[in-house]
Amino acid sequence: MTAPAASAPSKATAPLVVSVHDLRVHFKVKAGVAHAVDGVSFDVRDGETLGLVGETGCGKTVTARSFLRLVKTPPGIYAGGRIDFWSRDARRSGEEPVDLLRISDRDMLAIRGDRIAMIFQDPAKALNPAMSIGDQVAEVFYQHRSEDLVGGGPDRVPSIVRRASRQATTAPERLALRLPPWRRQGRALRRRVDELVAGALAETQIANPRKIMGRYPHELSGGMKQRVMIAQALACNPDLLIADEPTTALDVTIQARILELIADLQQRHGTSVLYISHDLSLVRQMCDRVAVMYAGRIVETGHTGAVFTDPLHPYTRGLMAAVPSASQKRGELLAIEGNVPEMVDPTPCCRFHTRCRFAVDLCRQIDPELLDIRDHGVACLAYASAARLGVPETSLPLVEGTSR
Amino acid sequence: MTTLTPEATGSAGSVAGNLVMTLRGVEKHFPIKEGALQRVVGQVRAVDGISLDIRRGETVGLVGESGCGKTTLGRCVSGLSRPTAGGIYFRLSDRDQIALDEALAIPEDQRTNEQKQLMARIDAEHRLDTMSAAARRIYRRNCQVVFQDAFSSLNPRHLVKDIVGRPLRVFKEASGSELTERVVSLLESVGMGRQHLYRYPHQFSGGQRQRISIARALALDPDFIVLDEPTSALDVSVQAQILNLLHELQQQWGLTYLFISHDLGVVRLMSDRIGVMYLGRLVEQGTAEELFESARHPYTQALLAANPDLSADLDVEMRGLEGTVPDPANPPQGCRFHTRCPVAVPQCGWEVDDAVSWLSDMAGGLRGDVPHQLTAAFPDALTAVERRSDFDATLVFADEASAGLVGETLTGDGMPTSMAAALEGVSVEDHKVSIRFTEVDEVTLEDLGGGHLTSCILYTGRG
Amino acid sequence: MVELSAPGRLPITTHGPFAVRVRRLAEVAREVLRNPTTVAGLVIIVALLTMAFLAPVLTEPNTPDPYQMPRDWTMRDAPPGTPGHPLGTTSTGGDVFYGVVWGARTSLQLSVIVVGITVTVGIIVGSLAGFIGGKLDEILMRVVDVFLAIPELIFALAIAAVLGPSFSNIIFALSVVFWVKYARIIRGQIIHIKQNDYVDAARVTGDSRFSIYRRDVLPNSITPVMVQATMDMGGIVLTAATLSFIGLAEAGLAEWGVLVSDGQAGISAGKWWASTFPGLMVFLWALAFNLVGDGLRDVLDPRTERR
Repeated sequence: MTAPAASAPSKATAPLVVSVHDLRVHFKVKAGVAHAVDGVSFDVRDGETLGLVGETGCGKTVTARSFLRLVKTPPGIYAGGRIDFWSRDARRSGEEPVDLLRISDRDMLAIRGDRIAMIFQDPAKALNPAMSIGDQVAEVFYQHRSEDLVGGGPDRVPSIVRRASRQATTAPERLALRLPPWRRQGRALRRRVDELVAGALAETQIANPRKIMGRYPHELSGGMKQRVMIAQALACNPDLLIADEPTTALDVTIQARILELIADLQQRHGTSVLYISHDLSLVRQMCDRVAVMYAGRIVETGHTGAVFTDPLHPYTRGLMAAVPSASQKRGELLAIEGNVPEMVDPTPCCRFHTRCRFAVDLCRQIDPELLDIRDHGVACLAYASAARLGVPETSLPLVEGTSR
Repeated sequence: MTTLTPEATGSAGSVAGNLVMTLRGVEKHFPIKEGALQRVVGQVRAVDGISLDIRRGETVGLVGESGCGKTTLGRCVSGLSRPTAGGIYFRLSDRDQIALDEALAIPEDQRTNEQKQLMARIDAEHRLDTMSAAARRIYRRNCQVVFQDAFSSLNPRHLVKDIVGRPLRVFKEASGSELTERVVSLLESVGMGRQHLYRYPHQFSGGQRQRISIARALALDPDFIVLDEPTSALDVSVQAQILNLLHELQQQWGLTYLFISHDLGVVRLMSDRIGVMYLGRLVEQGTAEELFESARHPYTQALLAANPDLSADLDVEMRGLEGTVPDPANPPQGCRFHTRCPVAVPQCGWEVDDAVSWLSDMAGGLRGDVPHQLTAAFPDALTAVERRSDFDATLVFADEASAGLVGETLTGDGMPTSMAAALEGVSVEDHKVSIRFTEVDEVTLEDLGGGHLTSCILYTGRG
Repeated sequence: MVELSAPGRLPITTHGPFAVRVRRLAEVAREVLRNPTTVAGLVIIVALLTMAFLAPVLTEPNTPDPYQMPRDWTMRDAPPGTPGHPLGTTSTGGDVFYGVVWGARTSLQLSVIVVGITVTVGIIVGSLAGFIGGKLDEILMRVVDVFLAIPELIFALAIAAVLGPSFSNIIFALSVVFWVKYARIIRGQIIHIKQNDYVDAARVTGDSRFSIYRRDVLPNSITPVMVQATMDMGGIVLTAATLSFIGLAEAGLAEWGVLVSDGQAGISAGKWWASTFPGLMVFLWALAFNLVGDGLRDVLDPRTERR
């Protein structure tokens, strides 16, 4: 798996899959309203991997969960913004996108697992311990591919079998499916499901799909469970895969395999990936573009190569300097002083100003916009235009090592 | 104590320094109990023969993935667990260490009386599980721990003052206002202050809790601190603060660290010497530079390849490891890493279990073009396994056809080359298939020069 | 300037340890009082305790033993509202109001003594089993299993029947039966708490096993026991009332269960008051303690686990 930087330019003009506009998600807490996500905008294009990077509390997980409306309301509040989504069909026929925050629950159910899929950090918690692997993966097919399960044969399909393909049968009906005259079709249905499940599992390079299908989650290793989860997510060939720290709970060598797998599957199916992580080096390896989040906002975004070789925002710089790497000396890691603020009822200001070495008075008064500098976005007043803000040039902060 | 072959422990070529911890053949096995009567059916060999020296003032890093035994070893070194075999010696003198190694190299019944007396004395004065009460007190004062989870390592019902002051109280070093002042001074040395004395742990952030943990560890001015994944649960920027602090404290207080972590980057930064653990054993040992510039074990190389450095070139590929980790209750006789090693050779120690597991994978289908009858034969038709040794066994099947099919598969083209080369013979007789692999010896750590040790035969030339 | 220990968290001040602990208790109290059902329970308990406390004031204590129901053969089966007997009298002429008020005292004694004994014994046994573990744990738990195999009520019944009906025998019987519950609870908690790193940290500081038990393990394991004890304060009275109802109580004792039992015969004849009022008291007592116990559990458990 080679780093994707080389292929970046060609993806820059690919059609949009997701476009997030000014997303705001708030939480009611004892002390007030916490602005967990406070005006986040970014795009994901066809076939690309976008990394959402940040530390605990920056809002990246909440952002991801908003795509599938998984944020619990209350205490969560979808306070504003849009998430426009173009499915493959919509892109082909030039239709308008749907706003994921506003579509009906039924439409959202149809999209979840089918057009947009999500994999989570801890596979042990994401898999149902009481269901076999085969049954769990099968659910996706029952839910979204029921026509595939029954169609294609010469016989007319009785309604009971059709209902079975959607898992909409009652217990006596399920019993009836094991008896003639429906037995043959019932069995065909189960065989078809098994085939699809085994195929999905095999795609994730599981060596013994049939054996694994009969097992339960606790019998599998962490890496295997994660593969099962990936199989489940990619079963219906979604347009967008959201991966929320998918390898944090895994060993480093297994992690690399899983990430290789995701990249491989992505290339084969042309899936777009939204990859959420706190690990800078992984994001650098995996992603075409990256967005750095801090305290509910995006502070920097751009092509991975550009952002990592020339970070513009003081936070990004601080973050990169804080990671132990070959270029660091012991005891001299750049530690960003202070802590992440809790965003309760914030006032307009740069969220990072309390910890920024270069902060000036202006930083305490204005929300910096995300500015685009040759396809490299940064939200810092140091790069803003004094004229546009209507302030004297001297009141802008100076970030050392940059040319303006 | 049984005989220990003189394993190189990295002490060759060292200047006369003070030893803080000396480990010789340390093992920690956990019994596996089954059944209503809780019979012991096996042992999980969490730590399976570790020998290591930790010298005053240095930081020894211990790195490995989950299940390698590094945390268990940390617990043995810090006195929380007793090793089931081997010895951990505290503050051994250089002379005693040489004498001890000499004595350990000889079988017990062949040791001289002098040696036996020497060992008895060393055991009473230095060995963790047999030391006298007085010696234990000194050890306890001088060996402290900082745990990974700052949340669960601080009693939620105790005030910070009580937590940090407790060692002082237990050892009756201070009380009352003097204790309070000493606690304040400890808090200040970790970047906190007097205002934090009367607060509860839950009122602090992760980084601050870890600082409290460190302050507690420093209370008795110890020689040696075991740091078990001290920053793994922290955000990157907080981790940087804590790592800087640990380094500063080491300089100021003259501390020796055993730094356990799964994060190679952190270990590299913080350690002078590093030991790489896999399945209970050390597979490579050397200075941080040696390991990172010229790793001499495929596992170390795999760890490095799996998590590329932030400052490295982008075109360096990230690679993981395939294959399964062997059962810790029944590790392979030869190299324990060979089941996943990308460069394994026939002499690495291929066993019947490997062949069986390969057959399993083959029979699962959907991998290459495999006759599907194999699925029916294996493992369904397998009725028994007669095991003469790890390398020599017979598989008994229900019928001749299955046996024949399995035999054919084993001798066919699909098997990985190094496994095939190690296969001495496969013979099919009626419904039995006999498999025999070349036997190999246990692998040992060898010194490649200057204290850089590895157990991989590709580099040591053994086997 | 008030300095924040961490953004958004409580401000740091230099209060001493005493002030901090008082503050913390106040916080807990406030949390508890936030729940209306818990408050209701507390109100009822306070009312009942007051009644118990003021028994000699509210009624004329019987001689020679105030815990015996007074007998007045002239005033048998008087309905409520009869002058001097607001709640009526029993079939032996005892004032029902007297029974209610002094019954509160009896119940209080009963609950406190039984819960006190069972909690103490249960903690000791459970702690030994959980903290020391190994063979001791196995033996003790088998003993506990034997006890638990016998249905509680039947067990208590058997003991009381063998020993003879008396107040102290009932206390004994209930104590023997109910301690095992606490042993189980605290053993489970201790095993769970022992896994925390701070227990290991205490070992590394060189503290003795007992000291670790006392300072680290016990305080963090005790909350479920406290919750259960609170609820048992109510439950014990209920069980005792059941035993009394079956007839294993001291005859003529001013105890709610006895009164219910005695008055039972008269119900079919329309004399409902002798059983109903004491029965109502049992219900209120058990309900109140259950409500408070529930409220306590909601407040205490998530706090000790996470905060």
